[in-house]
Amino acid sequence: MKKADNIREIVLNTLLALEQEGDYSHKLIKAVLDKYSYWEERDRAFLKRVTEGTLERQLELDYYLNSYSRVSVGKMRPLIRCLMRMSVYQILYMDGIPDSAVCNEACKLAAKRGFQSLKGYVNGVLRKISREKEQLPLPDENGETVQYFSVKYSMPEWLVELWLGEYGWKITATLLRGLMEIHPVSMRFVSTLSQTERESWCERIRKQGAELTQSRYLPYVYFLRQWGAWEGPAALPGFEDGMCTVQDVSSALAVEAAGIKMGDFVMDVCAAPGGKSILAGEKAGTGRVLARDISEAKVTLIEENIRRMKGKNIETEVFDAAQFCPGLEGKADVVLLDVPCSGLGVIGKKRDIKYRITKEKMEGLCRLQKQIARTCAGYVKSGGILLYSTCTIHSEENEGMVRFFIDELGMEPVSLEETLPEAVLAQKKLLEADLRSAGKAPMVKLTEEESAACIQLLPGYMEADGFFIARFRRR
Amino acid sequence: MAIRNVREIGEEVLTKKCKAVVEMTPRIRELIEDMLDTMYEANGVGLAAPQVGILKRIVVIDVTGDDPHILINPRIVESSGEQIGPEACLSVPGKSGTVKRPNYVKAVALDVNMNEYELEGTELLARAICHELDHLEGQLYVDKLEEPLEDLEEEED
Repeated sequence: MKKADNIREIVLNTLLALEQEGDYSHKLIKAVLDKYSYWEERDRAFLKRVTEGTLERQLELDYYLNSYSRVSVGKMRPLIRCLMRMSVYQILYMDGIPDSAVCNEACKLAAKRGFQSLKGYVNGVLRKISREKEQLPLPDENGETVQYFSVKYSMPEWLVELWLGEYGWKITATLLRGLMEIHPVSMRFVSTLSQTERESWCERIRKQGAELTQSRYLPYVYFLRQWGAWEGPAALPGFEDGMCTVQDVSSALAVEAAGIKMGDFVMDVCAAPGGKSILAGEKAGTGRVLARDISEAKVTLIEENIRRMKGKNIETEVFDAAQFCPGLEGKADVVLLDVPCSGLGVIGKKRDIKYRITKEKMEGLCRLQKQIARTCAGYVKSGGILLYSTCTIHSEENEGMVRFFIDELGMEPVSLEETLPEAVLAQKKLLEADLRSAGKAPMVKLTEEESAACIQLLPGYMEADGFFIARFRRR
Repeated sequence: MAIRNVREIGEEVLTKKCKAVVEMTPRIRELIEDMLDTMYEANGVGLAAPQVGILKRIVVIDVTGDDPHILINPRIVESSGEQIGPEACLSVPGKSGTVKRPNYVKAVALDVNMNEYELEGTELLARAICHELDHLEGQLYVDKLEEPLEDLEEEED
C-alpha cells in the first residue's frame, strides 16, 4: 500500500474548515495533527507552519493578492481563496521550498478540486507574486499609517487605530512586532523547589535536546524553544511528575503581584486551567485556595492540573463568578479576579482572535467584567487584597476597570512595587517614559498612586503575553 | 539487498489466491528481505508477496518508516469501527481512491521464525493490514472504491 494523503490538500482542507465552520485554529490544528500522527515529523511541521502562518499573515497575503489578481480575495471561491493564501505564504515565508514547486502544487490542487479552468489564473498570479516578491506593494507608511501597519502586521485596521490612539505609532509598532515574534513556551516550575532541584530538572530537559533559558522576571519560569517532540511539553521530563507546567510568565506575575502570605485563604473565581490557583496554593502553604469556574469542563481541566502538580490545599467548585455566594462574604484574604476579556494580549498564540473580536463583543465583555468585579469584591475581607488581571491590551477593560474599582466599589489602590520584581517594574517605567515622549495622555486618567497599583505588560517590551495586573485593598 | 519488480494491475498474478507458507527456508528469508527493500525503495507503507510475483501468504508493513512488521500466513481475528479515506497501491501507479476500512483490526500471523504473534493497529496501520491481506486473496482496492479513482500527485522530491 502507498499513502495517498496529499499534505498540501490537508492544509487546504484545514483552512477551508476554519473559514466555513468557525472552529478555533489552535484546536483544529491540534485535532488534524493528532489524526495524522503517523506522518513524518517533517510533514507535521509543514502542516502546522503553513496553516498557522497563513492565518497569522492573512491580511498581508490578501493585500498582495488584491494587488495582483483581477478577482478580489473577497470574491474568490472559498477553496481558491484558501489555496492562494497558503501558496503566497509559502512563496514569501518558506525559503526551503522553491516557488516553482508551490505554483505547480497549487495548480494541481486547483485542478483536482474541480477548478481545472482556473489553473492558468492560479499559475499567473502566483508566478507574478513570486517574480516581484522583493518589491511587493505596501500602503504608504506616512500617508496611510493605519493601513500600512494593518497590512504589515496583519492586524485589522480598527485594532491598529485603537492602539495608535492609546499609544502613538512608536509603541504600537513595537507592540505589533512583538505580537508577530516567535513565542517560546513559558514553563513554570514548582516555586517551592530549591534552585539546585530546579536546575537538575532543567538539565534533564536539556538532555532531550530542548533549549531552556531562565526568564529575567521570575527565577522559576523558563522559556522553552525547539524541544523536538511533537507530543508537546507534556512529554518532557518532570512534566508528568508535576515539577513544571505550561504557564505564561505574565500569569505567574499576577499571582506574585497579589503578595499571598502563608496561611492565606485565596479565592480564584475564574480559575481554569488552574495555573494561578496552583501557584497560589504553593504560596499559601498551610492556607487554602478555592478555585472556581463556570463549567464542569473547565473545572475538570483545573482538577487534572491540580492532580498532576500535586496541589494539596486547593478545592474546586463549578460556580459562575457573576453570581454572589453570601456564605463567603468578607472571608478571603486574597481574591484573584482574572476576568473573561477580549484576549488581545495572546493574539500571538491564538491567531484568529484578532479577526473574530468586534467592538460589540468588547462592549459586552466590559459589562460582564463590571458585574463580576462588583460581585467578587464582596468576598474580600476588610484589609484583604483583590488582584484584577486580564490578558488584553485595551484601556477600557484595564485602566477603565481600575477607575471602576476605585470610584464605584471604593477599593484602595495598592502599589505593585513591593510585590513585583525589579525587571518588570523597569518595563513599566520604560513604557511610561515612551508614552510621555509620544506626547500621549492616557485614555483613562489615573493619579500617580493609582497608576502605581497597576501594570500593562506589552509584548515587544517584555517577553510575555500582553497582560494587565491591578492590585487593590478593601477598606 | 535486492529490489524486485513490482507487478501492476492487469497482471494475472495479482488476481490469484496465495498459498500458505509451511516452513521457513533461506529463499523465503531472502524474499522477505527483498520485499522490505522494495517497499522502502518505492516509499510504500506495505507490500504483499503477489506484488512481486510470488503467490505466498507473506506481507510486509511499515507505516512509520522505522517499524517494520513481517506477517506470514496472517489472518484478521478482530475488527471494529470504520474509517473512510484515501488509499493508493504500488501495483496501481499514479492513482488513489477512497476506501472504507475498519478503524481497528487485530491480526494473528507468524514472524520470520515461524512463531505466532498478534499485531493490533488503528487508522493507517489498520488500513494497511486490510489492504495487504486483500492482496493475498487476489483482491485490489480499486474494486472496493467509494468514489471514482483519482490521479495521485507524486511529491517531487
